[in-house]
Amino acid sequence: MSRVLRLAAKLWAFIRRDFLSLVSYRLAFVLQLFGMFFSLLAFFFMTKMMDPQAEGLNGIPPFDYLLIGLAFLSYFSTALYAFAQKIRGEQMLGTLEAMLVTPTHTHFVIFASAAWDFTYGAFRILLYLGFATLVFDVRLHVVSWPALLLGVALTLLSSAGVGILSAAFILYFKRGDPINFLLSGLTTFFGSVFFPIEQLPQWVQPAAKFVPMAWSLKVVRGSLLQGQSFSELREALLILGVLTLVLLPAGLWASRIAIRRAKCEGSLVQY
Amino acid sequence: MTPAIEARGIRKQFAKKRSIGELVRHPFRKSERVLALSGVDLEMQEGEILGLLGPNGAGKTTLLKIFSCLIFPDEGYARVRGIDTVRENRVKPLIGLVNSDERSFYWRLSARENLRFFARLYNVEGPRIGARIDELLERVDMLESADRPFSGYSSGMKQRVAIARALLHDPPILFMDEPTRSLDPAASLALRRFVQEQLKERDHKTILLATHNLHEAEELSDRVAILAGGRVRQVGTVDQVRRWGLEGERFALEIDLATGPVAGPFTVLSDAVEGGRRKLTVRLDDGTGFEELLRGLFDAGIRVRACDREAPDLEAAFGRILQAEQDPA
Repeated sequence: MSRVLRLAAKLWAFIRRDFLSLVSYRLAFVLQLFGMFFSLLAFFFMTKMMDPQAEGLNGIPPFDYLLIGLAFLSYFSTALYAFAQKIRGEQMLGTLEAMLVTPTHTHFVIFASAAWDFTYGAFRILLYLGFATLVFDVRLHVVSWPALLLGVALTLLSSAGVGILSAAFILYFKRGDPINFLLSGLTTFFGSVFFPIEQLPQWVQPAAKFVPMAWSLKVVRGSLLQGQSFSELREALLILGVLTLVLLPAGLWASRIAIRRAKCEGSLVQY
Repeated sequence: MTPAIEARGIRKQFAKKRSIGELVRHPFRKSERVLALSGVDLEMQEGEILGLLGPNGAGKTTLLKIFSCLIFPDEGYARVRGIDTVRENRVKPLIGLVNSDERSFYWRLSARENLRFFARLYNVEGPRIGARIDELLERVDMLESADRPFSGYSSGMKQRVAIARALLHDPPILFMDEPTRSLDPAASLALRRFVQEQLKERDHKTILLATHNLHEAEELSDRVAILAGGRVRQVGTVDQVRRWGLEGERFALEIDLATGPVAGPFTVLSDAVEGGRRKLTVRLDDGTGFEELLRGLFDAGIRVRACDREAPDLEAAFGRILQAEQDPA
């Protein structure tokens, strides 16, 4: 079996394992779906109080604007927390050691541990969009699928970079996760998730330029809600690409250092 | 011939955990270090079972983790079939680890689902996975219960699944860390029998068995090593280690009550009357054998009613070795 196929089979094994665990808690799974629906319902009525002409909305209805922010924030949160939570969970379960004695590279174990969370996160986005179009009459019109898919892929990779950095913190320090705390707050505030950045005082607006989520949402909203073309989204895609090129290698580098240190310290499986 | 596993001069220290208060008061102070291993030398040949004995905190688990590529040594090296354990990609296919931690499985999944997951990580080829899992489940007598959730298994069943997992990729070398720790006597006996009959006699596996259970080590091991204070203090066959620190062979004698003072090519260690019989324990002088003992007694006119060679006890030897480690003078 080729190396790539073998890795794909391993990745599938991780996804299958977590899927089986999830469906063994059927009620929790169903309740989660209801939770998503009711949060959307609450936002639907809340946004009725908002001014559709507010600066920065650029003609997007407030609920539609918020929907995309909410769906992708949940994905970003998944990326941010999944690696660290999974590693910590496996440490506490005692399964991390069992995985690390297998001939599977430690880096792969860390990344693949979160594979299901990313898959489920994508499923949740589709559910959000499904609820939105079927129940709340949101109109989606994609002009450039390549721009949308590239935007989603870059969102995934940049978020994964941040998530891996966060996992490296857990491996290195065992407790405390300043990266998550900081980035979660900054992303929610500066990432145009719940409101356009233009609503903030002008002097803080440049901060949004360094938040990957702000660029991700620009691309996704532009693609899904405004029917923008690839060329209209090119600048946002380029910046998102640069941020990904910084964040992903930084995450990989940090995790390499953290794993090396944890193996020297003998703390890889401690929590 | 390349040893199956080899450790030379392994030294390992760990940072002592600091309290939150201490971290706040001295955030940049280096943690105190605790010495776990201080120059371990050990070698095993293919097909051998070596019992690694030692008190709590002796460093048995640390040594197993170094061989399992989970920890890097600070100094020295560990090799598996001549390959340094730092080169984990080449070492891991050769080894399997069985520990006593029941938590190392996904409790919501069944044994079969757990094994299926780990089989992938062990690079078992897709089409072979089902058959390999069935074969192992049958060998560890878990085939009928294989589809029940892991959480419902007894400790003995969980341990059998742990062995099946370590055998998924059919490694030639197994590391077993206290495999019978949480088992009842019947389950413990069954597991020892499995190790003896299946792993040793049938599969000829090389097994490094870390255990507290001296009886288990005596029963299963070709050789035992005593680890104490971070070093291997003694290594040899069970019989060699049993005799460690004993000067000369010991015999328990039963002689006539009326016999007077006893003398011969031996030292009398104890002399007492029990149940109307006189019982002595003697230690032979250097260079004296059993024949000289009997001749000496005969020449002295002593009538011997019973004579038993005292079998040296591993537990007593273990105690002597630990005592010598604490009091080297």
